[in-house]
Amino acid sequence: MASSGVRPRSGVINTGPGVDERAGLIPVTKPKRREQLSGYLTIAPAFILILGLTLYPVAYSIWLSLLEKHSFFPQERFIGLENYLYLSKDPEFWTSLWLGVVYSIWTIVFQLILGVAAALLLNQSFVGRGLVRGIVLFPYMIPTIVAVILWKWLLNDMYGIVNYWLLALGIIRDPISWLGTDQIMLSTIIMSVWQFFPFVLLSILARLQTIPEALYEAAKVDGASAFRRFVHITLPQIQGILFVVILLRSIWMFTKFDTVWLMGEGAGAGRFIRTLPVYAYMRTLTYYQAGLGAALAVIMFAILVVCTVIYFGLFREEADIG
Amino acid sequence: MNRWRFKQLSNRSFLYVGAALLALLAAFPFLWMVSTSFKPPVEIFAQPPTFIPEDPTWDNFRRLFTATNFLTYFWNSLIVSGMAVILTMVVSAAGAYSLTRYQYLGREKIAGLILCTYMFAPIMVVIPFFILAKKVGIENTHFALVLAFTSFCLPFTLWLMRAFFKTIPVQLEEAALVDGAGRVRAVIYVVLPLALPGIIATSIFTFILAWNDYIFTRILITSDELKTLPVGVQDLFHSALIDWGLIMAAGMMITIPALLFFVAVQRYLIRGWGAGAVKG
Repeated sequence: MASSGVRPRSGVINTGPGVDERAGLIPVTKPKRREQLSGYLTIAPAFILILGLTLYPVAYSIWLSLLEKHSFFPQERFIGLENYLYLSKDPEFWTSLWLGVVYSIWTIVFQLILGVAAALLLNQSFVGRGLVRGIVLFPYMIPTIVAVILWKWLLNDMYGIVNYWLLALGIIRDPISWLGTDQIMLSTIIMSVWQFFPFVLLSILARLQTIPEALYEAAKVDGASAFRRFVHITLPQIQGILFVVILLRSIWMFTKFDTVWLMGEGAGAGRFIRTLPVYAYMRTLTYYQAGLGAALAVIMFAILVVCTVIYFGLFREEADIG
Repeated sequence: MNRWRFKQLSNRSFLYVGAALLALLAAFPFLWMVSTSFKPPVEIFAQPPTFIPEDPTWDNFRRLFTATNFLTYFWNSLIVSGMAVILTMVVSAAGAYSLTRYQYLGREKIAGLILCTYMFAPIMVVIPFFILAKKVGIENTHFALVLAFTSFCLPFTLWLMRAFFKTIPVQLEEAALVDGAGRVRAVIYVVLPLALPGIIATSIFTFILAWNDYIFTRILITSDELKTLPVGVQDLFHSALIDWGLIMAAGMMITIPALLFFVAVQRYLIRGWGAGAVKG
């Protein structure tokens, strides 16, 4: 390489093209024992922490789900699969499963629509784009507790600004009880979409920025409409990341605890958004039945594993990852 | 004005209207919180509502700092999040270095296993974690909380740091090694400076995750004097009459630190996000 082709700040590279080739061969061909040892030593802390703080607790919850155990006292009794048998006949379990599925599906669908649309918009160039890009990430960055109090205040039935506007515009005649039994699921879905669509937006936007502009230019010259450009250029390009985003968002929405729990708390209608994670929490810390709580967590995990495997089976070929 | 020109122009205005709506959708709830936090009680419940407080007051903030344990919670949040960042970053920087620079058996398996745990949701970990913490006798301590945050953030940070380290050419380091520098010196003087943007972005991300956490703190901490902000502020709701002014002031005070950090590293964050998300 001629040194004139190297930018001045990479002076370090400049000194060593000859050195690189010799040094580069050593680790690739023959991992030495010392090298192996250093490798293991540097990964060990991370590995031990993940093993001890995540994998072991999750494995332990399988054992815990076979016990009858009070959450605060040390006594425990092995009861086999009785917790699972109990849950299979427990109407509240089935309701919570159903509510969890309803909540996940609607929030995921609207997050994707809003997130992808917003990403396409913010991929255009216009004045103030950087600022808007910063602002839209805001809902995802604030603590859940803040997002919840914001929305509880916006949706307050007596003094909330949402009801005020709807009344002022003549869309409704009587104030809507947004946090009441009939509307609380809808309110929680709206609020969750608001909170989590920036994740979709950011992931898609990052990918959109890597699509070569030339592809679009060529299509424009050929007279392709905006819609056709989206279907034939953008969509195939973002397919891979969409696959990952849908997977992650599904896992996270199905196991979402804090948003749902905090929306339901103190609203009196919490029962109508008692999804599976909330139910698992309540069994453990309201009824102190740690065994049942663990069984619910295990069921949740099993459902996720099964769905993930099916999802990969269905869409693997279409999404070229890596 | 010809037709083509008109279409161009209407496309532009559509773009600006869309962008403005999007920004408003994201920011309005926050602006409304800011507005409410500066209103006296009478104005908070006024109909029609006022956007700019007519009679702005610091009273809500004053009560927040004097009549509640807000400062204790704030301090706890700072300590716990800070410790979690330090522990997570040291461990994940070493781990990411190992995964990108050394050859050894099972390296890719370990990387895969770590990525797998990225998918474990807090609710699945926290119940057994709580029972185990009780058995070990560390429940209701900040130590347990720091460990919990670390376990929660580690898979993600490790993955992100690995992506950052991959972008640093190994040759630079090898050149330093050949020039006679030891491994430690090569890391300190060559790798770390180049990885700094990644390290900062990952630290901030960890900080925000820890700062925002609700579930681990709710379950692991029972003493009021050990609570962090999200849990402490939630408990402000537990009075008969909800004091919206006070709660909005508290909401602002929790949001501001996270927001400041976020604004500071937004650029790196978006880049890192791409690296982390696309690789997954």
